[in-house]
Formats: sequence, C-alpha cells, structure tokens
Amino acid sequence: MRQTRTAYLFLAPGLALFVVFRVYPLLEGLRLSFTNARLGRAAVRYVGIANYTRLLEDTRFHVSLANTAFYTVASTLPVLVIPLVLALALNRGALRTVLRSVFFFPFTLSVVTVGLTWLWLLDPVVGPFNYYLRTAGLPARSWLADPATAMWAIIATTVWWVTGYYLVIYLAGLQDIPRELYEAAALDGASGWRSFRSITLPLLRPVLLFVVVTHIIGSFQLFGQVFVLTGGGPGDATRTVVQHLYEAAFQNFFQFGAASAMAWALFAVILLFSIFQFRLLRGHTEY
Amino acid sequence: MQRGLDVQRVALTAALLVLAALWLAPIVWVLVTSLKVTADIVRVPPEWIPWPATTAHYREVLFSSSRTARIGRAFLNSVVVGVGTTVLVLITSAMAAYPLARMRFPGRGLVFTVLVGSLMIPNAVVLVPQYVLVQQLGWLSTFQGLIVPEAATTFAFGVFLLRQFILGMPGELEDAARIDGANAWQVFWRVVLPLSQPVLAALGIFAFRSAWNDFLWPLIAVNKPEMFPLPVALALLRSAYSSESYGPIMAGAALSAVPLLVVFLVANRRIVEGVRLSGLKG
Repeated sequence: MRQTRTAYLFLAPGLALFVVFRVYPLLEGLRLSFTNARLGRAAVRYVGIANYTRLLEDTRFHVSLANTAFYTVASTLPVLVIPLVLALALNRGALRTVLRSVFFFPFTLSVVTVGLTWLWLLDPVVGPFNYYLRTAGLPARSWLADPATAMWAIIATTVWWVTGYYLVIYLAGLQDIPRELYEAAALDGASGWRSFRSITLPLLRPVLLFVVVTHIIGSFQLFGQVFVLTGGGPGDATRTVVQHLYEAAFQNFFQFGAASAMAWALFAVILLFSIFQFRLLRGHTEY
Repeated sequence: MQRGLDVQRVALTAALLVLAALWLAPIVWVLVTSLKVTADIVRVPPEWIPWPATTAHYREVLFSSSRTARIGRAFLNSVVVGVGTTVLVLITSAMAAYPLARMRFPGRGLVFTVLVGSLMIPNAVVLVPQYVLVQQLGWLSTFQGLIVPEAATTFAFGVFLLRQFILGMPGELEDAARIDGANAWQVFWRVVLPLSQPVLAALGIFAFRSAWNDFLWPLIAVNKPEMFPLPVALALLRSAYSSESYGPIMAGAALSAVPLLVVFLVANRRIVEGVRLSGLKG
C-alpha cells in the first residue's frame, strides 16, 4: 500500500503533464469535431457528423488527402531502401563512424533549415542543381514550380533529411544479428545475396516495420517542407492535409470544429495504413 | 581471391566517400553562400570558395533584419525553449520511469500501455485542442506555452526509454542503499539517476532536438514577433527578403544549425545510442 502511494507520487508530475496536454486534447479534439466551434464563438452547438459529411464534399480536402497519400506511398520505398543499402555498405567497410556521422548530420537540422537549403539548391535560375544538370547535358527545369516535379522535389528533400536517422537504426539492427549465422551460411556455400535474403532480411523485419510505421505516421503529417518550399503550390499540387487543417483552423475563419474533423479523419487514415503495414510486414513467418 | 575482395572493398569505400561528399554538399553550399558578397551569390557558374568573404549577412540577420525575423532574438528564444523542454522532460520522465521499472502497484500495466500507445498519436491530431487549451491558460506567445506542450509530447517516449534502461540495470546497489536506510526518493536520487547518466544524456539530446526544430506548434502558438523561435523566424526571413537575396537567409540557416552541430560533435556516440534505443525497442 505504501509502495502504491510512493509509486504514484513519483508518477504524479509526469502523468499530470501527460493527461492535461496529451490525453485531454486528444479527446477534446474528438468532441470539437462534432461541434461548430470557432475562435471566439460563445454559443458552440453540437452539429452531429456535419463536419465529417462536409469533408466528403470538400474537393480541396480530397486533393490534399490524395497529395499526402501520394507522398507517403512514393517516399516509402526510397526511405526504406536507401538507408538500408547504405547501412549494408557501411556495416562492412572502413570509416563506418565517420560516414555514419556525415549521413546523419542533415537530420540534426530543422525542417525549415532543410527547406531553405533546398529552395536555394533548386533555384531555377541561379541554383547549382540546375547548373550542373545543364553542364551534364540534361534538361534543367523549375522543379518546385512544375506540378509534375514539385512533389518529387519535396520527396528528395525529405529523403536527404531523414536517411541518416534510419541508417543509424538499420546499422544497430545489423549489429544485433549474430555473426555466427553468416559464418555458418558461408560454410554451407551460401552466396552474399542468399544470406541477405535468408538471414539479414528476416531478422531485420522488426526494424523494417519500425521504419515503415514511423515514416508513415510522419508522412501523413507532411507540412514544414511544403510550407517552405512550395506553399502547397503550384496550384494545389503539393497541398497537404495538415496544411489544409492549419489553414482552416488558423488562417481562414478559425474553424476549430471542421479542422478537428479533418484531424480525426487523418488519424483514421494513419491507423488504417499502419495496421495494413503491420499485417504486411509481420507476415506469416515468426522468428 | 583475397585480392579480388580488396579491390571490391576499395571501390565500395570510394563510392561511399563520393556519396558522402554529395550528401554534405548542400550544407557546404549554404555556408559558402552565407559568406559571399551579394553580387557573387547569384553568379553562374557556382563558385565554391567564398572569396572575398564577408560576415555582412550574419551581422544583418543578427542585428538589423526586419522586426519579425530578427534571428538573434529568435536564437535566444529557441535556447530557452530547448533547455526548458529538456529539463522538464528529464525530470518528469525519470521520475515516472523509476516506479514503472522497479515498483509493484495496481495500475502499473495500464499506465505503461497508455503511455506506449500514445506514441502512435500524430501531433497534428491534438493541434487544435492544444491551441484552445493554451489560449485558455493565457499561455499564447509565452515560453511556458512552447515548453510545456513540447515536453508533454516527448514525455511518453522518455518514460519508455528510461524504463527500458532501468530494467536492464542490476538492482544490487539499490538494495544496498535500502538496507542502509535510504527511502525511495534517496534511492532514486542517489543511485538510479547517477547510474542512468548515459541514457539521460541521450534523452536530453533527443528532447532538445525536437524542441529546437519544431515548427508547426510555435507557428500557431506564438503571435508576438519577439517570442518567435528560430524555425518560425527563419521561415519569415524567407518572406521578408526577395528570393534574390539568399545571403541573409543562408546566414540564418547556418546559424540555426550551430547548437545541434556542437552537441553532435561533442556527443556523437550518445546521439547514435539514443536513436538506436528509440528504434529498436520501439
């Protein structure tokens, strides 16, 4: 009994922080999504599922959702594979610590710093990226102003930003695979590719799952890169859900009810995607 | 056979070095641009040595750029928010992790499950209600309005990380202290915390990084220019200047990278360890 009291005394400050600033906002957001709340509106009424049905007719929300989903799907493969290839290469070679630090460095920068960096690199007129493309005889273009390439430029920026983070995670995962397994495989005459398929990949599965789920949760909240690089443009070509939400809640009319409905719709989509990935990667084999 | 492997190895290392150089090039380019005189910045072909070099852009963003985007003030704001968040996260997480790792009490499993489950909550989902709450508290455009929600976001992760570490510690020292008559608080303060130093450092860096780099929350929670943290001030710096004047913008970007670069150089291993723990046990 005494221990229970002591335990909760230790927990009290953290739980207070957690309940007030995490749990309460989560539930309050769900409640708000069924109201017509606005900044400064005194008489807030419940409006049932009106905010959600309105989302079904909000074509800009659909565009934002489609863009966000496209970004998530298109960026998952590079974010999964590039750091993995790097990790496999670094795990063998010399200079592991130094190179790991180099690739990790962009991850210490804020999304705004990263965005400004790439804005300058990709500048259509005086940016070095286009200059070197032209020098190599390739066509230069306004990457961020062209609806066909803007989202890809944002994906490239993000890959540059987060690769180091996932690289470190992969490297740690690779270190945890017992050396003996590879030695045994080599004795049995297995090729490098074969031991990658049969040892590395299966044993790395929990790490791959972590990377995918983390990436998906982050991707669906894409905002900073777009805010700095394109502002959602050209047109609405890179407009995202969080940007749509941000503008509904804090730029136009402060529609807190409608924005909360968007937030929970987004939450539902993220959960669906995550569960799908869990299913996919948990797979049939258990180790 | 041996020779073939060596060639392969050298080729791989060379390829990695080239890739690493390309990876750093954008950052070098930022630095180079920030040191060039304005006329040289837009010169084509790109020149990688800033000569003649100038510190004019740094002086401009630190002292004389527009009121909304003064980087010097924003830098200090970010330091306060970063340090405040780190301290709050370390205290609350460590205090919560200790009983979850070492004591038996009803509700322990539930508390832990809820905390871990909350790691899946996207920040964007609580954005609006958190704003309403902070506004009702009168905390908009204040340090506590930035620090406390930021700390609440990192708290659950901190508990998770520290609990995992404490579980892996041998309990003998704690038992010995208890036999010597130490109470729970003394055991925590004198034995558990000192032994947890490595993981506390990793968590501290993690918390500082998230607070230093967060953009969306301060963008909405602050509407007084003198309270803007760095990312917001930087984003506004971009709109304050036309795109031709990359000098001040790049100087601001370079300045924003300094604190974490220093932390990173000093505590490289801690950071890597922190990321490692965050990934594998997640």
